[in-house]
Amino acid sequence: MTDQASDYAAEAGQQPDGWLRRFRNLEPINLLWILLIAILCVLVIWPIGFLLKVSFEDPSTGAFTLQNYVEAYGRWRYLEALINSCLLGLCTAALCVVFAVPMAWAVSRTNMPAKWFAWASVLGAFILPPYLTSIGWILIAGPNSGWLNEGWQWLTGSETPLFNIYSFFGMVLMIALNAFPFIFLFTKAGLDMISTEMEEAAAILGSPTWYTSLKITLPLVWPSILGGIIIVFLESIALFGVPAILGIPARINVVTTQLFQFFGYPFRMEVAAAYSMPLLLITVSLIWVQRLLLNRKGFVTQTGKGGERRELDIGAWKWVLLAWCGFVGLLAMYLPGYTMVVASFSEAWGKGLNASNLTLQNYYDVLFVSKLTQEAIVNSFLFAGLAAFGALGLALCVAYIVTRNLIPFASVLAFLCMAPFVIPGIVLAIGFYAAYAPPPLGLYGTAAIIVVAFMARFLPISYGTAAAGMRSINPEMEEAVRVLGGGRFTAIRHVVAPLLKKTLFAGFLLVFIPATRELSAAIFLVGPNTRVMSVLIFDMTEEGRFEAVAAIGCIILVTTTFFVWLGFKLVGRDFMMRTPR
Amino acid sequence: MKRLMALATATVLALALGQTATAQTADELYAKAKEEGEVTWYVSQFSTGLAEDLGQIFSEKYPGISVNVIRATGQVIYARLAQDVRAGVAQADVFSGTDLGHLHELRDQKMLMEFTPPDADTVRAPFKDMQPGFWYATTANPTVMAYNTEQVSAEEAPKNWTDLTDPKWKGKVAVTHPGFSGGAGSWAVLMKKLYGEEFFTGLRDNDPYIGRSLIDPPTVIAAGERAVGIAVFSVAARNKIAGNPIEIIYPTDGSKLSLGGTAVLANAPHPNAAQLFVNFIIGKEASERMVENGMLPISSAVEPPSGVRSLEDIPTADLSEDELVKGVQPIIEEWRDTFGG
Repeated sequence: MTDQASDYAAEAGQQPDGWLRRFRNLEPINLLWILLIAILCVLVIWPIGFLLKVSFEDPSTGAFTLQNYVEAYGRWRYLEALINSCLLGLCTAALCVVFAVPMAWAVSRTNMPAKWFAWASVLGAFILPPYLTSIGWILIAGPNSGWLNEGWQWLTGSETPLFNIYSFFGMVLMIALNAFPFIFLFTKAGLDMISTEMEEAAAILGSPTWYTSLKITLPLVWPSILGGIIIVFLESIALFGVPAILGIPARINVVTTQLFQFFGYPFRMEVAAAYSMPLLLITVSLIWVQRLLLNRKGFVTQTGKGGERRELDIGAWKWVLLAWCGFVGLLAMYLPGYTMVVASFSEAWGKGLNASNLTLQNYYDVLFVSKLTQEAIVNSFLFAGLAAFGALGLALCVAYIVTRNLIPFASVLAFLCMAPFVIPGIVLAIGFYAAYAPPPLGLYGTAAIIVVAFMARFLPISYGTAAAGMRSINPEMEEAVRVLGGGRFTAIRHVVAPLLKKTLFAGFLLVFIPATRELSAAIFLVGPNTRVMSVLIFDMTEEGRFEAVAAIGCIILVTTTFFVWLGFKLVGRDFMMRTPR
Repeated sequence: MKRLMALATATVLALALGQTATAQTADELYAKAKEEGEVTWYVSQFSTGLAEDLGQIFSEKYPGISVNVIRATGQVIYARLAQDVRAGVAQADVFSGTDLGHLHELRDQKMLMEFTPPDADTVRAPFKDMQPGFWYATTANPTVMAYNTEQVSAEEAPKNWTDLTDPKWKGKVAVTHPGFSGGAGSWAVLMKKLYGEEFFTGLRDNDPYIGRSLIDPPTVIAAGERAVGIAVFSVAARNKIAGNPIEIIYPTDGSKLSLGGTAVLANAPHPNAAQLFVNFIIGKEASERMVENGMLPISSAVEPPSGVRSLEDIPTADLSEDELVKGVQPIIEEWRDTFGG
């Protein structure tokens, strides 16, 4: 219509109306802006809006009601789950501090040898997703059959197990072993910013090293540690896999498993929406607090390192710290990883490692026989690839517009891209379900709803990478293209894109890797034909088929390791550290 | 001879049924089903492995029709179906549930197709009793107890259900959550009827391992993770046949006989393939594979597995269908309140 009108106007040689002329002079970038706003609405605003709307709706009539909230908070059991979640978050954060702060201090400030050792532990924790760590640990510390407890009972003749993994502390340990890298990275970043001069001053005045560290160093990095604690707390309360695998057998109910119950029979999505509100509110407010903490006094800045830094000589203690780093890595990655590999090659995991128990059958079944697992493996990589591609494309467009200040209010776009950061994955999934699963859209059970939800979930990671890459390119080079008569898109294609290659690749992998293992967001959205590996693992644990579960786990493990290695190779050593979450 | 008899009765009955005109022969069904090309099966009665096997055997017998197996525990698979209905999507063709209440509910909502599989009359006695036209019994799997023979001697082993609440089993019992498993739901209704609230509090005080499926406890018992517990008969039998250290206990106060039914959805996208599939499940090939997995055969042409008792010799305490249909949902809530999860 407009095209015809403007063509006609041009033919007639008349000046078109004011608004039409404006429309003709519209740069494609402005149309893109409208498109981007539309996409971000679909990804962020619509699902969260629907979550709120549905929570106040009567499921059958659609009328306004508070009944969902009454039902969601009207039972002691449901409230208890909320309390359990908060306790879980607090205990996990505390344990993470115990794990990570000595490691960070050792790496950043002391003369501990073989610092790569600590990094290896951190990397290991990243590679193994929490639900796999749990499965590995069930084989280690199942109260009666895990080899740790069998060995303990054999050694001491004791009747009681040394450590029961199906317990509250078991859940805390599992989550902490996966989340401690957050505190490590935050604390190390904080420590790296502090000059050693103050510590030296204390040392000259006769203060022993441990006293200095406690009284001077620690308070200086406290805001960074607290920032890490908040992230760990939020990760813990939003996690589904560990509470489902360990908490259900141990009779411990938390918010995420309770949400899963509301999605069971009788199906109460509206109550689930109402019940997910505390999770959302806690996350939003704590992230806000964390930003305040970290911005205060500029503890972590991008500008450089302050003052002079010398490594502290801590004598023989350096070996103790090194052992601690190794110990944490052992618990987080090597022990459960090893146990899982052994189980995946076993006929029956209870029988231990010996020749008669050795088999390749589990892998054969998983890869060549079972249609379910084959489909799930393909789905996982396909959905993760599409989501990573989509999120990256979107993030790049927005980052370009924002860093080049092409349009007014561009920062709104940036804000929307970062918004999913404060929405727990499980809440986001419920929002997506509410908005898109039922008619008229009817995306229930389709691949589209999962891909789009993954895109939204990991958009902040993509955006962080894209914006950082974009900022590093000076706009003068594009301006040169424009001066020589090239359009905006020529500049992007021939100048910006080649310069961003590494960023593009890192951005892709940083979404692709977590998306292949995502459970919390997937569990509510998968349909009969769209199951992914993580969900299948969860389903299979209910039948106690740990050998097959271990085989799928090992496939995840190997592929993740491969992609992390690829990232190191092509992007550089710091590629993982850009992960904001 | 036995076979001949069965054939004769089948023929007579088929003739009688022939007049109702709705019954189709397997060949007719196959001709139509081939055009549909696939069938989606929501199932909780069999383990994932067995369900996939059955699907594969079906596709081999009827080339050109593939089977989509969607396996979950009884309550979870029904929740899935309920979600489909709410979302207005028809995905499932065949539904095999372990909670009879679900089938009643589906029928009352007019969501099941009434049909007669061609081989409906070639099934064994307990299955024949449950063929109301909307669904056909496809499992008769007693919920029994089991113990690990390396950890517990035959004398020590529990004899009846209340023995599970004996404090000497503290930390050594495995049970299943009725909120997930359909079979555990009807078991819990029976326990409530026989022993009331105290049974559950006693069980809770023994700090049991709580599985999400009835398959889970016998597996953890065979692995030695727990010493005693409830078990679905077939999985315990299969483990025993495979030589794992597990023995079945037939509770003196009666095991819970769980009959599971298979139905075709009224809005099934592949209605003919679905009917053909139900006919296959009650047929000889499927029963043969079930027996290999420790289950009791449906088809009268197949003998029960050796080394375990046949159904007639297992003492069962049964509930009326009404008690069952009304009892499961309340017992789930009660369980969650008692066990806190």
